Amino acid sequence: MVADRLAEIVGESHVLSRQSELLVYNSDGLPGYRRQPRLAVFPGTREEAIDVVRFLAAENLPFVPRGAGTGLSGGALSDDTIVVGLHRLKKIISLDVENRRATVEPGVVNLRLNRHVAPHGLLYAPDPSSEAACTIGGNVAENAGGPHCLKYGVTLNHVLALTVVLPSGEVVELGSKVGERDGYDLRGAFIGSEGCFGLAVDITVKLTPKPQSVRTLLADFTSVDAAAHVTSAIVASGIVPAALEFMDGPTIRVVEDSIYAAGYPRDAEAILLIELDGLEAGVVADVEVVRQICLSGGARRVRIARNDAERMKLWQGRKKAFGAMGRLAPHLIVQDAVIPRTKLPEILATIHAISEKYSVVVCNVFHAGDGNLHPNIAYSADDPAESERVHKAMREIMKACIDAGGSITGEHGVGLDKMGYMESIFSETSLNAMCELRGVFDPLHRSNPGKVVPVHSCKEWHGTRASRIPAREAEAPPLEAEPSHPVAR
Amino acid sequence: MTTETVAATVRESAATATPLRIAGRGTWLDAGRPVSAGRTVSLADDRGVVSYVPGDLTLTVRAGTPLSEISSVTAEHNQWLPLDPYGSDDGTIGATMATASAGPLASSFGLPRDLLLGVEFVNGRGEVIRAGGRVVKNVAGFDLSRLVTGSWGTLGVITEVTVRLYAKPQADRTFVIELGGSEREVGAIVRAILNAPLTPFAFQLASRSISRALGVGENPVALLRFGGSDTVVNAQVSGLGQLARPREVENEVWTSLRAVDAGTHTAVRVSSLPQRFAAASARILGDDVPGIYTSIDPRRGVMRILVGSAASDDGDATPAPEFATDGEGSSSVVFEKLPADLWSSVSPSVVADPLSQGIRKAYDPHHILNPGILGS
Repeated sequence: MVADRLAEIVGESHVLSRQSELLVYNSDGLPGYRRQPRLAVFPGTREEAIDVVRFLAAENLPFVPRGAGTGLSGGALSDDTIVVGLHRLKKIISLDVENRRATVEPGVVNLRLNRHVAPHGLLYAPDPSSEAACTIGGNVAENAGGPHCLKYGVTLNHVLALTVVLPSGEVVELGSKVGERDGYDLRGAFIGSEGCFGLAVDITVKLTPKPQSVRTLLADFTSVDAAAHVTSAIVASGIVPAALEFMDGPTIRVVEDSIYAAGYPRDAEAILLIELDGLEAGVVADVEVVRQICLSGGARRVRIARNDAERMKLWQGRKKAFGAMGRLAPHLIVQDAVIPRTKLPEILATIHAISEKYSVVVCNVFHAGDGNLHPNIAYSADDPAESERVHKAMREIMKACIDAGGSITGEHGVGLDKMGYMESIFSETSLNAMCELRGVFDPLHRSNPGKVVPVHSCKEWHGTRASRIPAREAEAPPLEAEPSHPVAR
Repeated sequence: MTTETVAATVRESAATATPLRIAGRGTWLDAGRPVSAGRTVSLADDRGVVSYVPGDLTLTVRAGTPLSEISSVTAEHNQWLPLDPYGSDDGTIGATMATASAGPLASSFGLPRDLLLGVEFVNGRGEVIRAGGRVVKNVAGFDLSRLVTGSWGTLGVITEVTVRLYAKPQADRTFVIELGGSEREVGAIVRAILNAPLTPFAFQLASRSISRALGVGENPVALLRFGGSDTVVNAQVSGLGQLARPREVENEVWTSLRAVDAGTHTAVRVSSLPQRFAAASARILGDDVPGIYTSIDPRRGVMRILVGSAASDDGDATPAPEFATDGEGSSSVVFEKLPADLWSSVSPSVVADPLSQGIRKAYDPHHILNPGILGS
């Protein structure tokens, strides 16, 4: 039996096969999708991870690599396949302070790496809001972003090298720990491949010196439009803030009602949370410029955090905003569209109009500086009429973002959730080129099957190899596959 | 030439299995291994801005657009593309991306892969593929943009490129520090600059031969470029003044530094852990061999060695820097430019691994795109 063989590799207590035990692995951070895995296996060492993948290759079994399961696209869900959970691989293998780099196992939690390097005056820049739980391996799979990616770049810009176990069980080194390589950028191709190209067993990341000085500003507005225009003005000014975050009225109020209350003004219709960092002299000057842009753009007040405790509190409200929305309704749809930054005022007005048209409450909380929107709608899936309105509204919002020249996902990944939108932004040949790349890393599409690119977009795959694995693995679910049975959080 | 004409050309070549040499403006055709092709597809005429909204700080241009044109178009809005590959701004953005060529600004602003947002290319079957997009953050689909960057045309002919722009700094000033002291003194200065809270746009160490070519003295030098608001730049200049005795020079010195490549037949790039360069910099820069030009980017961990015709031809024109070989796996060597007959002996294929071969075969099944340029 497969479970017994896996237990021989990792130990009996690290294989789950009872349906009741597997329930916790049937969703990720995005409520709304549920898939039941057949088995879950948790290797405790690099060698065990390699042996597990080799065994699965020999048995021709599909599998889904999984980190902390905090993803927001349904990407870590396993539909009757085997979950390979990597959270036990949590060693920080090496830290090279002088050369500012660290090598870690994939299960190392993002914040733990940051705490580990902080005493040396260093930080790991990508900071997804789930940083307290999400793993570096998962960050690599999704090419994760976060508020501070505005200035510092996303995961792609901070990973130097990876040791990867291909779905065939072969182990390859991508990128270079010590220098730059020529040849194809396979490291770049792997980052953001959402578990479809295999799994990383170690990751070498670049570390960034802590800025000399940091200031966090909170600007509040009585109109969404004014805050949107101020965002565009800050971007256009040439100052690159470390972070530039936007929260609208409904989001402010739900955060203030929650245990994450940050002291945001409840009567504001929008706030901007702006962080500036760098050399002390420059930061002081930039704070003044940004403050003036905010005030002349209609901000009621610009508050500057006086100390680290105040800064942390302001950030806590932002980072826990998705969680706080659980207070509004049992279910939540999360979007991740990106738009050109000059289109922000226009798109926010459109989103508002759409929300009125369908009588839904959209909570906007997002990385404004990047134009990376997160229009979220809290609702009850038990009310079919409401569900339908919510999903119609969301599709219209996505269409508006695509029409504005945007992208369907800035940092959450395509996973299951956005797959139905892929054909609205990519041509058939482009999608097929993606399939071909996947086919090189994973000829049988056994690693995270049925995600990212719809199977019918893959010329070679469609109608030929698809028959080699069970049909349900090969078929991509249609757009908005199951709005009708989301899970309660 | 439009995307469709490129696609038609590639399809014709695919049908007859005629190898194609892909060229931009032809300024860097001496780089990379020799290609034997029956036909050249030139992107030089396919130039110009497709879309530029200054407020978005993004720019979409046709691949044949010279960097100099991007520079003047963006300068009108006080913006720039901080990409300064060695050679000059005469080269095209398509070639810069295809060869992943970077220069002194890379240690602050990133490599071409970090500035590229989206790309359109024609694969070896003549199909038009678009990847990425025109927004600054995007994880939709597998990352074909990174894949074609640095693929030297072997996976596709890049026809259009979208890049991230930056606002031009209020102040942009360059300083030179002469490194005339002992090895110990030079090492100490380099380390002090590296560890100081300075954020220069560029920081290069250059050998005596380069100093002479740039007209900045008879000693090896450190070149630092500071950009930002006046306040920030002034603060950094005074910080630097506490570590060494900087002398201000014209920003033109960077153009001259990049132009040293022009008179050379060999360019080798050695990369390793940044601190190893700090430690070895005095020894490396102290060498004074006519016709050999060495520069180091100590933050990026990259050393470039150029060999010009003035170098004595002792039958071993390939500089095999001791540094590059003093420890297994501790550094990597990339040959950018070599005399044609030397390629096969010094550098076998860089795309011989099964993954690279698989990707090549998928994107260029007829093996017609720049065959040989990467060694196979």
